[in-house]
Amino acid sequence: MIGGSKTPLQDTILLPERIGDLTGLGEFGMAGELIAMFIAAFIVGNLMLAMTGVAGPWAKRKITAAFTDRYAVNRVGPFGLLIIVADSVRLLGKELIIPENADRPAYDLAPIVVAGSAMLGFAVIPMGSGIHLADPEVGLAYVFAVAGIASVGLVMAGYSSANKYSMIGGLRAVAQNVAYEIPLVVTGMSVVIFAGTLQMSEIVAAQAETLITVGGLDIPMWYAFVNPFAFVLFLAANFAEIGRNPFDIPEAPTEIVAGYQTEYSSVYFVLIYLGEFLHIFLGGAIIATIFLGGPAGPGPAELGIVWFLVKIWAVFLLTQWLRSALPRVRIDQLIEIGWKGMLVLAFANLVLTAIIVGLLETDLALSMVIFA
Amino acid sequence: MSTEPELDADVAEMSFEDRLEALVGTRVLERDDHKNAPGFVIRPDDVQDVLFDLRDEAGFDHLSCVTAQQYDDRYESIYHLKQYDDPTREVSVVVPTSTDNPVSQTAEPVFRSADWAERENFDLVGIDYEGHPDPRRILLPETWQGHPLSQDYNQEKPQVVTLSEHANPLQADHKDTETDTMFLNIGPHHPATHGVLHVKTVLDGETVVDVDPDIGYLHRCEEQMCEQGTYRHQIMPYPDRWDYVSAGLLNEWAYARAVEDLADIEVPEYAQVIRTMGAELCRIAAHMLALGTFALDVFGDFTAVFQYAFRDREVVQDILEDLTGQRLMFNYFRLGGVAWDLPEPREEFFEKTRDFLDDLPHKVSEYEDLIVTNEIFQIRCVDTGILEPEVAKSYGATGPTARGSGIDMDLRRDDPYGYYENLDWDVITEDGMDNYSRVLVRMGEVEESAKIIEQCVDLLEDWPEDDREIQSNVPRTLKPEADTETYRAVEAAKGELGIYLRSDGTDKPGRFKIRSPCFHNLSTLAEMTEGEYIPDLIASLGSLDIVLGEVDR
Repeated sequence: MIGGSKTPLQDTILLPERIGDLTGLGEFGMAGELIAMFIAAFIVGNLMLAMTGVAGPWAKRKITAAFTDRYAVNRVGPFGLLIIVADSVRLLGKELIIPENADRPAYDLAPIVVAGSAMLGFAVIPMGSGIHLADPEVGLAYVFAVAGIASVGLVMAGYSSANKYSMIGGLRAVAQNVAYEIPLVVTGMSVVIFAGTLQMSEIVAAQAETLITVGGLDIPMWYAFVNPFAFVLFLAANFAEIGRNPFDIPEAPTEIVAGYQTEYSSVYFVLIYLGEFLHIFLGGAIIATIFLGGPAGPGPAELGIVWFLVKIWAVFLLTQWLRSALPRVRIDQLIEIGWKGMLVLAFANLVLTAIIVGLLETDLALSMVIFA
Repeated sequence: MSTEPELDADVAEMSFEDRLEALVGTRVLERDDHKNAPGFVIRPDDVQDVLFDLRDEAGFDHLSCVTAQQYDDRYESIYHLKQYDDPTREVSVVVPTSTDNPVSQTAEPVFRSADWAERENFDLVGIDYEGHPDPRRILLPETWQGHPLSQDYNQEKPQVVTLSEHANPLQADHKDTETDTMFLNIGPHHPATHGVLHVKTVLDGETVVDVDPDIGYLHRCEEQMCEQGTYRHQIMPYPDRWDYVSAGLLNEWAYARAVEDLADIEVPEYAQVIRTMGAELCRIAAHMLALGTFALDVFGDFTAVFQYAFRDREVVQDILEDLTGQRLMFNYFRLGGVAWDLPEPREEFFEKTRDFLDDLPHKVSEYEDLIVTNEIFQIRCVDTGILEPEVAKSYGATGPTARGSGIDMDLRRDDPYGYYENLDWDVITEDGMDNYSRVLVRMGEVEESAKIIEQCVDLLEDWPEDDREIQSNVPRTLKPEADTETYRAVEAAKGELGIYLRSDGTDKPGRFKIRSPCFHNLSTLAEMTEGEYIPDLIASLGSLDIVLGEVDR
């Protein structure tokens, strides 16, 4: 039955508990649990940071170079891998220039808000292999909520920089995020209707069932297969949400220089840039979790994290592909697509899903009655 | 230059010239004929009157260039008029003014292109145009002392132009409490200005209300430098530095054509074919760059299209390097021919060129997939940056910018030079008047240029070995007859690149005036973008394909 039964693909034990058990910290009551939680958060946080901050920029260069028919970093270290070290030294060594008229607390906080909001989102993502920090019942709502905080950071950055380009960028960011967050959440709702829960682990578990068997090959009930329409819609809205081509309008380098981040330099720039990458990967993580079966994949369950990362990187690859191939739409066209197109489609999808799920459940109930 | 058709044209023009003189009538003080056109000297307060008559009665709808110069006893403005339908129909209106009080009536109400042209003349030579709506300097800062091309200008005097003395682009008083508009400086350092251009923009939200391009950041006194060089050798390197993005040979041809006309220099046919081939290679390279940077502006990043365009341009650059020995500053043309013959072994050069031409259709279809048929690209470019043909003509727009608005004018066909008239090719025009049309025109022109190059390669391959004359016999020291004047233009990558030359009997030009196509094309920007969005402003600027080196000279 849809959304009902559970096939525990992964351990239901969350990472903090496991660390508590392993280290014996669990014996020390509340304080021990708290420490275990910090350790777990530290591990997950660093895993994500290593992926986005270290592998991300390197891979981005390699991928873009492949798309644009040229070489990328290949001098510093094997395959140019050590370029990240060189970059870190370079970026952190730069002077931190703060504009004279900058609105100080907001200007300083914005990069932290942008980067931090994305980090928070990873807390509820089940990454497989037992890496799952927390599993609240409102998991999906939580992810959307914290990812939405980033918009606040962008507005803060845009407003407080005392630069007209930043201001335009900040305003664009708000207009864009409002126009796309609603279709995004509404499309996410259709998954919730299928799964019957907001809890991330349950959503993943619901996708573990077999949808159809083709030639002895089990196609799992990933929601991307069950409802491809919602999947595409969600993907598109996600690109706008994370501000990537063809919707990289808040930054729009050729139009408004660098948008909200125009005045940021040195460490602050790194933080904002990191925040953007984290958002791309968080977007990938959400898509992987609610549409691509989370950590599910062939092989033993211990490989979950590998499959999960593969899915995230697939989404990342797609963003880079679009970036290389598609023109940017204009801000008014974007708003039009968002409000007149995506929103309508998202609600249509929601209603359709509700009807189909309703019919299926009635069918199932009926058949059960008959067989009984 | 083949002389026969020229003579025919002259004969046909006779009656036309007489009719013109009758039209201007008693307002003609005397005749001051130039080599390229009849010249009528008129009073400074008759300018608008005469120009209106010439425009409305005789069809001279193209104010190609406005030259200003100072003689010992007078200042002089020359309005070089042409017709878009037939650019060989030319007339010069010469307006002398006294040295003490150089005031002349403005032509701005007749031709919008006079706006910027007269500002430049005021700036550099010092003629005041009475009734000009915007009599500011244009190339030099507002605080500049004196007019550099006037005779009493003191070059030794240092010019102090501090930021505080100059109009401060950062000043806060752009705030207008009455309206909700915002003043925004786009440039001089901005990713999309293609050089150092400063566009003063007034925004209402995202909508562009007012646009005022501020140029001159790259002004290098090119005209004056050319006036200080000798005709024979010292001037030719300069044209490479006007439109410096690989259009060098096209620019060199403008200078070569003007001097060859001024001093009646013959060019051997073989050299003309090489020139034609080289120039078209340059055009492909320049259009590739235009395409790539336009894609950069619309796509918003250094994306595939930009890199592909540069990859393909690279092949052209290699061929040009083989031909001229240089990649950017070719200095390959000579008066009366070219510097040297094709590189040996010739077969290798021909093969390389043919390989490039064979690959081109495939590459063009790649661009079509990536750009032209892309729906997002279309919604961004179709019906944005509209330039009506009448407006384009009034502003003196030429080249792909004009042809994108359906103006069927190409000097290669309409005012033939080189070897173009013997070759089979078409002029590309589009009626869309928008950014999209201008892209289509450039892409079409790349294919037409390829056709021309192919025919040139065929000709050169079969050229008899004992007839490969690359330069005619030109005296080492060239001293054209004093007070000969001419204005000659060629179809450069961006449009009509013209040069006005006046000889003063020495081996250096008395006046060297450059008519830059980018300069006039850029002046249409405000017409194209007001009322549209910022991204359209950027796209329109990109579609004009300006090179600031040529705008500012």
